Amino acid sequence: MMSSHQRALIEFVLDNLVWFLLVFVLAIFSVAIPNFFQIGIFANIIEQSTFVGVMAIGLAIVIIAGHMDLSVESVAALTAMVTGILFCTHGIGLGYTLTPEWLIVPVSLLIAMCVGGTIGAINGWLVVRLQMNAFIVTLAAYIWVRGLVVAISGGRSAQGLPPSLRFIGIDTVAYIPLIAWIAIACFALFTFIMAKTPFGRHVTMIGGNAVATFRAGIKVDKLVVFSFVLAGAIAGVAGWLLAIRTSGATANLGTGMLFNAFAAVVIGGVSLKGGVGQLPGVYAGVLLLSSIHTAINLMGLPAHYTQMILGGLVLAAVLLDTVKLSIRQKLA
Amino acid sequence: MTDTAPLLSLQNITRNFGAIEALRGVSFEMNRGEVVALLGDNGAGKSTLVKIIAGGLEATSGKVMFEGKECNFTSPAEAKAAGIETVYQDLSLCTNVDVVANFFMGREIVKRYFGIPILQEAEMYAATEKAISNAGTKIPSLRVNVEHLSGGQRQAIELNRFVHWGGKLVLLDEPFAALGVEQTRRGLEMIKRIAAQGIGVVIITHIMAQAFQVADRIVVIRQGKVAGDVARDKTSPDEIVRMITGEAFQGKAQEARPNGP
Repeated sequence: MMSSHQRALIEFVLDNLVWFLLVFVLAIFSVAIPNFFQIGIFANIIEQSTFVGVMAIGLAIVIIAGHMDLSVESVAALTAMVTGILFCTHGIGLGYTLTPEWLIVPVSLLIAMCVGGTIGAINGWLVVRLQMNAFIVTLAAYIWVRGLVVAISGGRSAQGLPPSLRFIGIDTVAYIPLIAWIAIACFALFTFIMAKTPFGRHVTMIGGNAVATFRAGIKVDKLVVFSFVLAGAIAGVAGWLLAIRTSGATANLGTGMLFNAFAAVVIGGVSLKGGVGQLPGVYAGVLLLSSIHTAINLMGLPAHYTQMILGGLVLAAVLLDTVKLSIRQKLA
Repeated sequence: MTDTAPLLSLQNITRNFGAIEALRGVSFEMNRGEVVALLGDNGAGKSTLVKIIAGGLEATSGKVMFEGKECNFTSPAEAKAAGIETVYQDLSLCTNVDVVANFFMGREIVKRYFGIPILQEAEMYAATEKAISNAGTKIPSLRVNVEHLSGGQRQAIELNRFVHWGGKLVLLDEPFAALGVEQTRRGLEMIKRIAAQGIGVVIITHIMAQAFQVADRIVVIRQGKVAGDVARDKTSPDEIVRMITGEAFQGKAQEARPNGP
């Protein structure tokens, strides 16, 4: 028998394993790779984590609720394209302007969130009302939404966002770009929502035992639909940031981000069974992936190694999840 | 709502699952403060009946009258709002969250800041601790996830939960299946205590001794119908067994079977 202190310590380590992993990996890279240990590199890692990170928040919430959302990448591409078409001045951009000029920030953000939320609502409705499998519903959305992006853009791109919006992608505060701060703020906000509000509590419990929550009088269907809407809206924010960072949008913008987001969520300790996982862990997962990307770039390895390492990491993360589960069972 | 109306009155409840008739017209009544034991063989339709009263299933036909009003609940939330609490046979706990979260499932104490509801953890912890210790249940930590607790501890949480929340009618579906001897004794005492407060209790059990220990009235379900509805002190375990198996029809059988098997 172990004491409750030891047990609490082991639980703490298991809960925050990805953070220890991140520190460990960063330490190894700092020692082993020349020029890795500098502020610019770390700032770059945090900046790179922005889009996948924001996308991963919504994905994580839906997975914690016991479902799956593969559409986040395409939704982000769609909202980036909508932002590009409405506000870009070149290419297929229509170049709408608002008075006063700063209104473009809240208005474009709101439009992006509404577009993303609408796709999420369609997904949620199909899953809850028509009882379709979330994996298939959102896989279909992953495909048709990307198709929609190509259709509305005609395969062409939009370039040149006005400075009143563009500054978000350029300015930095304390070495870290503004967009990365926005991502961090999103994580802080949703960590709070998941931990401290009835919504977060209920979503977690639905992922654990949907029947029990239904019997307890919790409106399970409504909350599941809402979590899909939320995932769509958050992916909308990711797309909005993506458009701002690249000052426009192309039809293939963000391709491959889904698997990064998915890997980050799993590495971050969110169980695919639902009901388990914390958003700070997901952020650590995203940072870990970005660190590895950066290290590979610095070492001058060809980019295709990244994908192999990424795939291996996802497998390792799922394996880790299993190992953690069996350790916990032994503790109990 | 009148005080003279029975607390719960079931009128000719039927429920079909496809071609299978799980319930074929069940009727009985019960009053406030009464403990009714629902007995019957496996597959007799007891759990289906409880789910219909609790709003988890809808009846195919028939009426559920609660406090004199017709209430065909379409969701557990509605039944709960009316004052019906249920403890299910397969436990209704979320094992991925802690004891406190389970205790307050769907009824979290919140305080609104700028319109945003925020969970009040300290308050909920204190209330849970009080309820659990009042009931004499020992749980190492209320912050531990329920998956780490034993079957008996889990069942104790559920039982304490309904005692704490009270309501007007409590439905217990095999509540003592995972409990030890001492915990079962406590559980039975708890039932008597809440019945004394004027709460109606329906308890499903397989164990004849338990039924005779706590129930005021025993209702036997057989093949989706009421096969017997008798006061406890006017019957014997032997008679009840005969009703359950359908060997003989004594007591107040509700209606003669058209053509028995």
